[in-house]
Amino acid sequence: MAVLSWKHHTLIQSLLERGPLTEKEFHSIFTAITGQNPGTHQGKFNDYLLKINRELSYVQLDLRACRDPYDGRVYYGVVNNVSDEQSKFGTKYSVPQIAFFKAIVEAIAQDATAEGCICNMDVLNIRLENQVLNSSRSQSQDGSLGIPAAFRNFTMSQKERTLDQLVKDKWLCYTEDDNIGVGVRSVLDLRGWFNNAGVPSCEVCNEAGLKAKLCPNEGCTVRIHQYCLKKIFSQKGVIVCPSCETQWEYQPPKAEPVELEDEETEPTQSQSSLRMKRKRQRVSQNDDSNTVGGSSQVDTKRVTRSSAHLR
Amino acid sequence: MAIPGGDFSQFDISKEEKDKLVAEVIRYILFKTHQNSGCPIKREELSQLVTKNYRHRSLPAYIINQAKEKLSSIFGYELRELQRSRPSSTNQTRLSQQSGVDAKSYVIISQLPAEVYKKYVEDVNTSHMTGFTFVVISIVQLAGGKIASDNLWHHLKRMGLHETNENHPVLGNVKQALEMLVQQRYLQKDKVSGPEGATLFYELAERALEGTVSERIKQYITQIVKKDSTTEDIS
Repeated sequence: MAVLSWKHHTLIQSLLERGPLTEKEFHSIFTAITGQNPGTHQGKFNDYLLKINRELSYVQLDLRACRDPYDGRVYYGVVNNVSDEQSKFGTKYSVPQIAFFKAIVEAIAQDATAEGCICNMDVLNIRLENQVLNSSRSQSQDGSLGIPAAFRNFTMSQKERTLDQLVKDKWLCYTEDDNIGVGVRSVLDLRGWFNNAGVPSCEVCNEAGLKAKLCPNEGCTVRIHQYCLKKIFSQKGVIVCPSCETQWEYQPPKAEPVELEDEETEPTQSQSSLRMKRKRQRVSQNDDSNTVGGSSQVDTKRVTRSSAHLR
Repeated sequence: MAIPGGDFSQFDISKEEKDKLVAEVIRYILFKTHQNSGCPIKREELSQLVTKNYRHRSLPAYIINQAKEKLSSIFGYELRELQRSRPSSTNQTRLSQQSGVDAKSYVIISQLPAEVYKKYVEDVNTSHMTGFTFVVISIVQLAGGKIASDNLWHHLKRMGLHETNENHPVLGNVKQALEMLVQQRYLQKDKVSGPEGATLFYELAERALEGTVSERIKQYITQIVKKDSTTEDIS
């Protein structure tokens, strides 16, 4: 008596093989295989997810959703809940690469201005030795300070390559202004870590407020995500700080580029041709973007960067 | 909730312990598969997870079977067993005499129908490797299951894949891509000593020899050849 059918399996496998998917993509898969749109059949969709998660809990995995901090889009992914001996195998990254990643995420998390990103130059200047001082379990053969050679010799080009790979795998992302931000995978996976690291949560949704608006009252520590502000504003027409009652200035975000959405979610059959095309587009556009400035370039960057891969 | 498959009371462990072991094995399989990009996992490694803490001799087999069931019911993955055997490659004996220990290994394969997999699950960023795998296996199969390295590269060159190319726009380091097929056990390497020194041969290995795979490859090759009205002579 099987609890899950091939439809549930398709949803799970699509996330496992392809990585985190946008809500739109995930919903379209659901619609295609069940014939029902999650928008209109919310109950059925939730029921599916509930059933899936009940089974996944057997192996301490979880199918969950999160919001991309930079554009507010919802993503779905399968996440590991427990860090144990087996999950330590679940990565192709080496120890220094992971330390590098950790340093970047820490720097982003500690950003007091809640911009949720750090600039490229700072990333490349990160020194891994600091990571060793923080972790208590570094036992190296050198004895004394316990800084492994691999950390000391982590070159600039290794950093660049690691950075590229991390963005490709969606642990990090490039933000609009060419800074480095947290990627969707980090938001899905590291929720617990952000809370432990003391990142203040958004007052509205209670998720980590990595990239959020701060209360204009300097003494107040409240932060709220841009997309959460949008929701309140549309409901109440005004934003008042829940803690200190200062009124917030609210500017509606830049108009969402609707054309881009359609481009990104082509029917899956033409996935391969579309991505090959975009890869070629991207290679030529990178060359252009170095020489040509201006706002038009920003938009094309968004097209090529948000879902295409670097290589 | 689920009725435990089989009677595990003989093993003197509680249901919770049994579930924990099965979960560990499944997680190991999933994470390892990701880490080594689909290279088969040795049965020994899975058994060790069990024997690390429990000494009952047939417990590992039971746990692995349970893991197989759960992988299928939760994820829709089949835990396929590959029999690793190294048949003698000398010309004298044609018997597939297994020299050495058979090592069983496992890969996970989606049980979804092909159209569903292709439409919703397949990661298009890895399709190039799948295509490459198919082409190489087909070449080796058409050569009778075994082909000299030089000969293989001769055919690959006709598609623009050169042994020395490290920057192919799709495959990157072409030689490494071929090496990946060896690690994933689609091919195995063999050095045959002949009158002119040792020649390197590529042979089909367990993953390519496995029933369904082998049959499908033959079908696809037939389809392609039938469609091709102009065939070139491969000298």
